[in-house]
Amino acid sequence: MSGQLGAIIRAVVFILLALAACGVIFEFAGYSAFQMFHSIVDGAFLRRNALEHALRWALPLFITATGVVISFRAGYFNIGAQGQFYVGAICAAFVAEWLRGYPGGVVIPLCFAAGMTGGALWALWPGLLRLRSGADEVITTLMGNFLAGLLLVYVTAGPLKDPSGSGQQASSRPLEAAYRISTSNGVSPTIIGIAILVGLAMWWLVNRTAFGVLSGLGGRNPTMVQWQGASTWKIGLASFLISGALAGLAGTIELMGPNGRLAGGFLPAHGFTAVLIALVAGLSITGAAIAAFFFGGLASAALYLPVMAGLPSAAIDIVNASIALFITARSRLVDTLTKAWRRPWKTS
Amino acid sequence: MRGNDDAILACRNVAVRYGDVTALDDVSIAFPRGMIHAVVGQNGAGKTTFARVVSGLVRPDQGAVEIGGKLIAGGNVNDARRAGVELVHQSFALPPSFTVAEAMQFGAAGGALYTRAALERRWQAHLDALDVKVSAGARIRTLTVEQQQAVEIARALVTDARLLILDEPTAVLSPEGAKKLFERVRRLKERGVTVLLILHKIREVLAIADTVSVLRGGRLIDGPLPASDIDADALASLIIGPSAKMLAGEDRAALTGAAAPRGAETETGPIAGPPVVSLRGVSTRPDADGPALQAVDFVVQPGEIVGIAGVEGNGQRTLVRAISSLADIAEGSLELAGRDVTNATLSQRRAAGLRVIPFERNVEGLSLTSPLWENWSAGQLLARPLLAAISPSALRRECKSALDAWDVRYAEVGQPAGSLSGGNAQKVILSREMDESGKLIIAAQPTRGLDIGATAFVWDALRKARDGGCGVIFVSSDLDEVFDLADRVVVMLSGRIVAEFRPPFDLTRVGAAMTGARA
Repeated sequence: MSGQLGAIIRAVVFILLALAACGVIFEFAGYSAFQMFHSIVDGAFLRRNALEHALRWALPLFITATGVVISFRAGYFNIGAQGQFYVGAICAAFVAEWLRGYPGGVVIPLCFAAGMTGGALWALWPGLLRLRSGADEVITTLMGNFLAGLLLVYVTAGPLKDPSGSGQQASSRPLEAAYRISTSNGVSPTIIGIAILVGLAMWWLVNRTAFGVLSGLGGRNPTMVQWQGASTWKIGLASFLISGALAGLAGTIELMGPNGRLAGGFLPAHGFTAVLIALVAGLSITGAAIAAFFFGGLASAALYLPVMAGLPSAAIDIVNASIALFITARSRLVDTLTKAWRRPWKTS
Repeated sequence: MRGNDDAILACRNVAVRYGDVTALDDVSIAFPRGMIHAVVGQNGAGKTTFARVVSGLVRPDQGAVEIGGKLIAGGNVNDARRAGVELVHQSFALPPSFTVAEAMQFGAAGGALYTRAALERRWQAHLDALDVKVSAGARIRTLTVEQQQAVEIARALVTDARLLILDEPTAVLSPEGAKKLFERVRRLKERGVTVLLILHKIREVLAIADTVSVLRGGRLIDGPLPASDIDADALASLIIGPSAKMLAGEDRAALTGAAAPRGAETETGPIAGPPVVSLRGVSTRPDADGPALQAVDFVVQPGEIVGIAGVEGNGQRTLVRAISSLADIAEGSLELAGRDVTNATLSQRRAAGLRVIPFERNVEGLSLTSPLWENWSAGQLLARPLLAAISPSALRRECKSALDAWDVRYAEVGQPAGSLSGGNAQKVILSREMDESGKLIIAAQPTRGLDIGATAFVWDALRKARDGGCGVIFVSSDLDEVFDLADRVVVMLSGRIVAEFRPPFDLTRVGAAMTGARA
């Protein structure tokens, strides 16, 4: 399909341009751009176990990003994935704490249900405000992120505080080992299975249901689907809830997998990276899988850089920010560069 | 070409291209000063582009424009304005929240500081001098369409304009309003202003213009010809060109506005029995989208086309929205094919046989960035549960055969709807809305902006639907086409239905009803 090929080429050109800009910044900051990129690639994809490390970050990012894809496609710019991710983790942590001692077979599914519900509810109120009164969801979901961040601080320093904590950083008591779904390396068959399941379900939703076509149409032109008889309520609310639930699911996985406990301010960039992944992917589920792996690699390189190469991990922030900049600016340069691949539509 | 020292405006070999489309093709023409010149042509003939080139809004890709013997820099509005050219656009550009005086001051020379009273005194004098009966303190949004246009013209004459261009000034006016406009134009001519009118009705050209020039497909076909030397029929042939053969006499007259069609009773006539739509005492809640309906009684029988005439903005849109469940019905009842649907959703009404060709093709009718097959299948997908499994390949196949049956010119069903021409885009909508199970078809301005071939195609499709037993509501602000197509005409004014006419239609009487005057 020429359309898909064009989208992929576009995304790659975006990223290459962003990396070129990064290289300039690195040189100005006094680092060798070549050495920096070499170390990043090495840390992200080439060193021993790099793929496993990339996957550890990529799986939760992918899950959150598919949710972002669903809401963005429907024309709702829910950028509150970070907050929904936190609230999901908090809800799951409460359930795990209350049911401490019950068998894992009971507690784990309930934690997942709680995490997804929490994430969905944290997306519900901006959704209702948007659909009822037109309140801009960009503003409300962004505010929701701060609220959820503060809620996390309160919960880890208050109701769920670990009394034996060192006081360095407030965190909850560690989860019982029976409730963990992976070791701290974050890759396990359960997590991989969940990610694959989510990916398949969302791909089906987008590409093989009436919801997928109608939300895509409505996202591009809500007036048109209204004149066709669509109720903006159903599709809109469903989009908010699904995206929130998936971010909450990712939060639950982080809690019950690699982290094993709630810590104040953990993974502060997760939701925003997921938004970036969705945009780089051109709002396609398949694309999100590829992009999530790429950004997962970058995330693992951020840990590798200072330790193994003696380079600042902020380099990864600069890379992410540049890609975000180029993607959101929808640079005309990219349109020009990729014009050759984009077939103009001729009619006879 | 025609070296003419006395020309107020001379174009030499002007060409304008938008991408692959040639909007103006090597146009060379000179207009003598002190006259009323008409430029006519069908949609897409290049009339508006011509007006925009002359007024400096568009830089020609080739050629030169001279105003009063002075070459003006292409694509520079200020240069054209200094040379004395003013353009009044087809769609008005006055800010609705401004007072008339503020709108006049905006863009005029003068100090930055002023008092409201001083401003109103200054501009009231100007309005009075031009015989525009509007208070300088009135807000733009409270003015009627005619008044807004008069203010636009007065504003254009703030500077010492020597050439005034009016782009389709009659499109928004009732026949009576058009007469008044023409009187105003004649007075301007007496004051020494040259007026260039972009028109598309022959009747109007012959009523007002001293010369007429015809554009077709971006080319100058002829002109400026003395208007007294040419008759309506010859002019119609020039405008339509070789495709004239495919048009029947009445259609041809309606397209060119040569003479208003009288309409005729159809041989079969409406089918007796339950109406396809019936509104009883329907009033709508006021909203921001036009005047509310007030106690509207309205019935359409199967097998008839009912034309909705009226000056734009008199509730036609609200009527369509009320039937389509997009405006709230506060009082009264609505039945579709015998079923009460007063409180039904649009989906339910569609299931009952309602089909809508909306006003704004590119906003309400299609999602331009979405693929054709998605646009085409939206309606039928909405009739299913949201989680119903679909087969995109089957939908693509169905879409393809439907588009082929409607003779849509496209490359593949995956291409975005925005890549089609206006006529083809409208055919996509027709192919979606005019399926076999439709009982009532609302066609709202379905030919707006379409060229001759596409217009005739839409008319034929609506006639076929009528002959097949559908009821059709046909909304258009062009009386010629309403008369040509409709079996019955109702006139809307301020959210009410104020009159009903049957053939033979009389332009004067319908026109009078549109403005609320007694015929």
